[in-house]
Amino acid sequence: MKQELSFFLNGEDVKVEVEPQWTLLHLLREVLGLKGTKEGCGYGECGACTVIVDGKAVNSCIFPVMEAEGQTVTTIEGLLSADGGLHPLQKAFVDHGAVQCGFCSPGMIMSACALLAENDHPTEDEIKDGIAGNLCRCTGYVQIVEAIKSAASGR
Amino acid sequence: MVRYEYYKPGTITEALDLMARFGGEAAYIAGGTDVMVLLRQKKLSPKALISLRNIKDLYLKNSLSIGACVTHREIEKDEYAKKRLSALHDAVCSLGSPQIRNVATLGGNICNAAPSADTACPLLVLDAEALISGPEGERKVAMDDFFIGPGKTALRKGEILKGFSLPVLGDTTGSAYIKHTRRNAMDLPIVGIAVRVTVNKSDLRCRDILCGSAPASEILSRFADEELRCEDVRIAMGVVAPRPIRAKKAEGMLAGKVISADGVAAASEMAASESSPRDSVRGEAWYRREMVKVLVQRAFVKSIDRIVRPDADIYPDRLW
Amino acid sequence: MELTAVGKRVSKKDAPSKVTGSAVFIQDIALPGMLYGKILYSSYPHARIKSINTAKAEKLSGVKAVLTGATIPPFKFGVYKDNPPLKTGKVCCLRDEVAAVCATDPETAEEALGLIEVEYEELPAVFDPLEAMKEGAPLIHEGHLGGKEKKPTNVLNLPWRLLAGDIEAAKKEAAYVVEGTYSTQWVTHCCMATSGCIAQFDTANNLTMHSNTQIPYLAQRDFIDAMGAFGYKGKRVRVIQSAIGGGFGSKLDTYAYEYIAILLALSARRPVKIVFTREEEFLATSPRQCTVTRISHGCTKEGKLLFRDIEMILDNGAYTSWGATTPSVMMLPISSLYKVPNVKYTAKCVYTNNTYSQAMRGYGNPQATFAIESSLEELAEAAGLDPYEFRLMNANEPGETTPQKFKITTCGMKECMAEVKSRLGWSGRRHEKKGRGFGMACLVHVGGGARVYKSDGCGTIIKVDDYAKVDVFTGSSDIGQGSETVIAQIVAEVLGIPTEDINVINNDTDVCPWDVGVHASRTTFVAGNSALGAALKIKQQLLETAGQALEEDPSGLEISQGVIFARHNKEKNISLGKVLRNAHYVAGGRMLMAEHFYDPPNENFDREFKGNLSVTYAYGAHGVEVEVDRQTGRVRIVNYVAAHDVGKAINPMLLEGQISGGGVMGLGYALSEKMVYKNGRLMNANYLDYKLLTAKDIPPMQAVIVETDEKDGPFGAKGIGEPGLVPTAPAIANAIYDAVGVRIKDLPITPEKVLAALKAKEKEGGSV
Repeated sequence: MKQELSFFLNGEDVKVEVEPQWTLLHLLREVLGLKGTKEGCGYGECGACTVIVDGKAVNSCIFPVMEAEGQTVTTIEGLLSADGGLHPLQKAFVDHGAVQCGFCSPGMIMSACALLAENDHPTEDEIKDGIAGNLCRCTGYVQIVEAIKSAASGR
Repeated sequence: MVRYEYYKPGTITEALDLMARFGGEAAYIAGGTDVMVLLRQKKLSPKALISLRNIKDLYLKNSLSIGACVTHREIEKDEYAKKRLSALHDAVCSLGSPQIRNVATLGGNICNAAPSADTACPLLVLDAEALISGPEGERKVAMDDFFIGPGKTALRKGEILKGFSLPVLGDTTGSAYIKHTRRNAMDLPIVGIAVRVTVNKSDLRCRDILCGSAPASEILSRFADEELRCEDVRIAMGVVAPRPIRAKKAEGMLAGKVISADGVAAASEMAASESSPRDSVRGEAWYRREMVKVLVQRAFVKSIDRIVRPDADIYPDRLW
Repeated sequence: MELTAVGKRVSKKDAPSKVTGSAVFIQDIALPGMLYGKILYSSYPHARIKSINTAKAEKLSGVKAVLTGATIPPFKFGVYKDNPPLKTGKVCCLRDEVAAVCATDPETAEEALGLIEVEYEELPAVFDPLEAMKEGAPLIHEGHLGGKEKKPTNVLNLPWRLLAGDIEAAKKEAAYVVEGTYSTQWVTHCCMATSGCIAQFDTANNLTMHSNTQIPYLAQRDFIDAMGAFGYKGKRVRVIQSAIGGGFGSKLDTYAYEYIAILLALSARRPVKIVFTREEEFLATSPRQCTVTRISHGCTKEGKLLFRDIEMILDNGAYTSWGATTPSVMMLPISSLYKVPNVKYTAKCVYTNNTYSQAMRGYGNPQATFAIESSLEELAEAAGLDPYEFRLMNANEPGETTPQKFKITTCGMKECMAEVKSRLGWSGRRHEKKGRGFGMACLVHVGGGARVYKSDGCGTIIKVDDYAKVDVFTGSSDIGQGSETVIAQIVAEVLGIPTEDINVINNDTDVCPWDVGVHASRTTFVAGNSALGAALKIKQQLLETAGQALEEDPSGLEISQGVIFARHNKEKNISLGKVLRNAHYVAGGRMLMAEHFYDPPNENFDREFKGNLSVTYAYGAHGVEVEVDRQTGRVRIVNYVAAHDVGKAINPMLLEGQISGGGVMGLGYALSEKMVYKNGRLMNANYLDYKLLTAKDIPPMQAVIVETDEKDGPFGAKGIGEPGLVPTAPAIANAIYDAVGVRIKDLPITPEKVLAALKAKEKEGGSV
């Protein structure tokens, strides 16, 4: 039986009918049409589905949709500035070669975003800790770490 | 897809009532990182999920108790946990990934009762007690009696784990948890060892040896030179039995004695003999048994390190 | 003139769409009326299908079609044409497709699968190629005849054999000989996006496949063949590629699910989408070929390599995909890694009831190089020589022709080795001190295309509009490696315009010219040369048109920053846009367009598997410092240097990405990745138990670019896609030996294996 869910998504109020057994990922992709967040495994083991809920990075593929009630949710689509410009993290990823096939990128960037919101000058180890839950098969992580470092220092 | 209702009770009583109403065909859910996976694998098909996330009583956190809904991330950031409940802090830092730690709860992970649950061994050595609320009232269960087998705990039908009570440990007590894995994140332990030690003094002349890369046996010999005595000890092992267990015979060999390299080595051998590891996709029995021997010694040294150098981090030079 | 686009660290052109989540992957596409397909897999590794009852599934509301092997036209695909998309009669492995459904939503399709009743009669199975070769072993394909007597056999009729020189004489002459057996495991690509496609028909039964293939034209050909078998001969097939979420060779072959989608779409008369779950991706895509290698290596007293004798048994699994052809690439390092005049190589492929392998980055090279470079160090030790000096003595050099008739043009092997040595700070062996050691290994791979098929070509069409904005239509694909950016840089350099003004279209067979596919690290070289050729033709047209306007000889003109000017007088100039509009907006005017199909001057192998397969060869060297924890067997990488001879770095930033990415994939291959099979069943079909490396596992890494300026490459470039992980495993194995004196000959090098080896060594009385 459908239930009504209200939450804040990318800065806007959203009211939507949901089935209680949906995951947050299903709501975002299949109902709200926000395809930027990806499903990589469905078990919370790869991080491709990472979004930020209440300031914390979470795997939306195993996040019960009902727990989004009243929460502030940010997806990759929510990072663009009002005039459509790239977020400093997005720009850093582009500039440092941190994107190859790009499938892990939205989740990776959201984890990095959550990290920098909590710790704006992370060490290299802290960066690696922050993205430890995001798998990437293309880059070997090296340029991703460089990109996050550069975004943190504002360069 | 399994279809179910989703309830968010605000109190424990409400939750218990809901569970009674569904006659046990409902399941509790906290962070959901285990339950959602079980649902997807079709290992669970409840008629309803009863979320415990909105029950304030389950979030208490102070020096005497941790609520069941406290997330691993909250414990990770807790300075008291880092200093006084170091083994537990080690476990939460190494568990899963940041995304998992942000939602997975201490209680939920323990109730899932995997023999590999990282926080289980630390709670065992820290003498934690499980605080339980049920249709028949409240009760306490020592951690050692809480784990029954893989996926099985002492919780009776409908009962909710409220949290854990912990003793206050002084500054001559230190603890550590070593998680032996194949990669440095998002991994289950091949073997997990937790140790808690209480010694007779925290001021050692040889403290600097802890900053180098000397092997455990050498460090223990230096402790022996200064007649460091082990007043009390707990050793817990994970993934070497159907449930996380204490190595009580090994503990008996060490308690009340001056610490020595041979003594700790012998206790490690004893601990290994108290374990009954199996071959599995995740590791081989012989290797697990060998790792018990090695890691008990290392966790022992690490625990004392926390007493002797309480404000320092473990040094980068060291392999463990 | 100084280069303005080539050699620059240009951002990947599609990176902005990927970091904003707006790039469209196959997972993101929904077409009107689209149905969702799902596949039912076998319950046994080897069994007769006695009956399949789909009645209940067909009746489920929302189900639009149900197919089994009995309801589809007979058709087999694959390298050996032994693989039907839906199995009839029997199943030969646990990933065999037995039935398929399509329905209005994925959950209904999944539910329908549960309603299909299959009755099996289990048959004895065989999971070891050595067992499968024995007399009386269960036959995987009863009708498969082979050998001289044309008897039923599990051994494929693919007698791989390479002979050069006189191996017997060399064996007698050799002063030092070492022998060993090495084995490598199944690992899988783990593309972050799972496989998937959408099959869509128009009213005339022409097919459009939305796909994440990396071989659009070969796939097109395969689908055309299939359509013919399905009763639709002569129909058009269009392949449109979505953004591809990882390739690494996993999409170098067509899969059963693609044919199943086509058949479901034909049956339901609606587009059908099939996307794998992660579990399916592990179970039902084809992994890297596993190997068992017996190698014998010999050298003279002075240390000159004399011979290499290698024998391999390959587990071919239940059906034949590219895995069975990996010996053709294994021959590369076997015959041409270092100077070794006498070579013998034989390989047998054997059917079993296991999964079957296809292409994966390196295509056999990592497997063979593991054996060769490990064995080489054993040989150096036997000869009492330092492993670095031993390699240097036998290093390949420019201008040589190898025993497989490869013509080495540029060769940066020695330079790469020197980089490794200096950057690691390696001044000689460290004998078992504190568990630290050094190791290295070199690699050779094709770098200038590879004539595997009759054509190794790639076409490019360039069109320029009135505003000097350029569209480049290339047959090559981007699978994340950045080919579209490299092509844009090449065209930008030739035409003297900014890379931002170049739009690369590379994903539609209706629009783009032919290319054989993204494999053999060929894209920069072949697609690059193709784009270069087309750009030069455009440049010529531009200069001619400008020459008329400026009344100058075209040969005296140059283009820079969007302006064409006379070399002798810069005042005489005209903007590109003006040139183009002048040419267009006049009676009898023209639009500037050019095409160039580049097929490199390399050779197919002859009957002896010899011939100059590639125009140029890529070399490299990896070095590593490890620390081994003697008590746990865990290996920590302290330092890692990967030096690669790339000819010319067209885009150093993207190049570093290939080297780092390849290196980390290599580390996983060496230390932690393994598909664990038990009686044909995959036990770790998930990311928890299949150990990909995380960001916390990467060592300090240096990616070193060595430029040797390959004259036949576009601006001197050669390929890099695969070399990145070829020498990683042997470098680590060699370093572990240096550190603690044990040699692990079986990948992955797990803590268990190291500890077991250390304990065995201790028992024998060796010091540890």
